[in-house]
Amino acid sequence: MMINLYEFTGFIEENFDLVSGVPCSYFKDFLSYLTNQEGVSQLKHLIATREDEAIAIATGAALSKKRALVYMQNSGVGNIGDALTSLVQLYKLPMMILISYRGLIEDIDFPEHSIMGEINNSLLESLNLRYWDLEIENWQKNMKNALTEMKDQSLPVVLMVKQGVLSQ
Amino acid sequence: MKGYEVILKLQEYLGENDLIVSSNGNISREVYHYLPKPQVYLRGSMGLPVGVGLGLAVMNPEKRITVITGDGNLLMGFGSVVTVAYYKPNNLKILILDNSQYFTTGGQQTVSSAINYSKFLDSLNIMNFQSLEASPSTVNDSLDNFFNTKGLAILHYTIEEGKKELSNIPWHPTKIADKFLHRFG
Ligand SMILES: Cc1ncc(C[n+]2csc(CCOP(=O)(O)OP(=O)(O)O)c2C)c(N)n1
Repeated sequence: MMINLYEFTGFIEENFDLVSGVPCSYFKDFLSYLTNQEGVSQLKHLIATREDEAIAIATGAALSKKRALVYMQNSGVGNIGDALTSLVQLYKLPMMILISYRGLIEDIDFPEHSIMGEINNSLLESLNLRYWDLEIENWQKNMKNALTEMKDQSLPVVLMVKQGVLSQ
Repeated sequence: MKGYEVILKLQEYLGENDLIVSSNGNISREVYHYLPKPQVYLRGSMGLPVGVGLGLAVMNPEKRITVITGDGNLLMGFGSVVTVAYYKPNNLKILILDNSQYFTTGGQQTVSSAINYSKFLDSLNIMNFQSLEASPSTVNDSLDNFFNTKGLAILHYTIEEGKKELSNIPWHPTKIADKFLHRFG
């Protein structure tokens, strides 16, 4: 059983003003839920052309005291090194990043993810990013821990999203 | 005209309600020295000024946001112009200062001259766009139109290379962010 999207999206709407990112199939159900909410909710959702663009859009929000959530596949982490190190971390801006964890055993037939899958954690650590697993049973606690860290440190934080957590 | 001469001209147009995002290198330095402070002076994140401006624009509909970007920065984040054209925030202005160079790193050529900007901007279906050479005889009319017409606008100037010797931006990026955040109460 995946996370209840009604509850999850409600939590996002309560805690964020803007969402931006590049899709992964691991976010499919979550993203269609978000799209259906458009017009109903206050949350702004902008689809980005690249992951660093999504980080830039989130930066614009953070620089005006708004809270931003970014989503991307872990392949996209390869696209955001400079956006993090010379912008978000350098200017000390809070934001939350949901990253789908590709390249684990279930991706055995998708070699494009295998190398990033192997270096996922060491790459996040090299980038000085604090990360949590988004767990189906404990997602609220995971999100709250990450949010607290994000606000206390005024820095980006990461939640890793595995298969079946935010989409069937 | 040179880039800094265009930036000096902007003084006449900018007020309390204006937020500026400037691209890294020489342009941020000129914006810091010549225009009201504080603004978002990007020191790195090449390719991202338009995205940052877009985020500011959608979150702050009551403010007017102007992105001032070099052609090298524009090309590195080219998709962002398309994203802007898609979402069309009516409080965003993009000023492209095109010297056809990576001027800051020593004047190496960019590929900008391959673009016909009038045709490209026309294809984005935004109401207010212009591409022209910045000169004392054209700059007033084009800036009037750029700033005084409501809605999304993109203005592309070809400019001459050249700069005034200016000191480095003295504020650490955390200070830039702190000062800028104070504009939001
Ligand atoms: C990712 C990245 N690559 C390269 C650089 C080095 N760099 C700094 S400024 C610059 C040129 C920017 O060109 P443009 O936006 O046209 O502005 P100009 O210098 O011409 O005013 C370059 C290549 C950098 N800062 N970041």
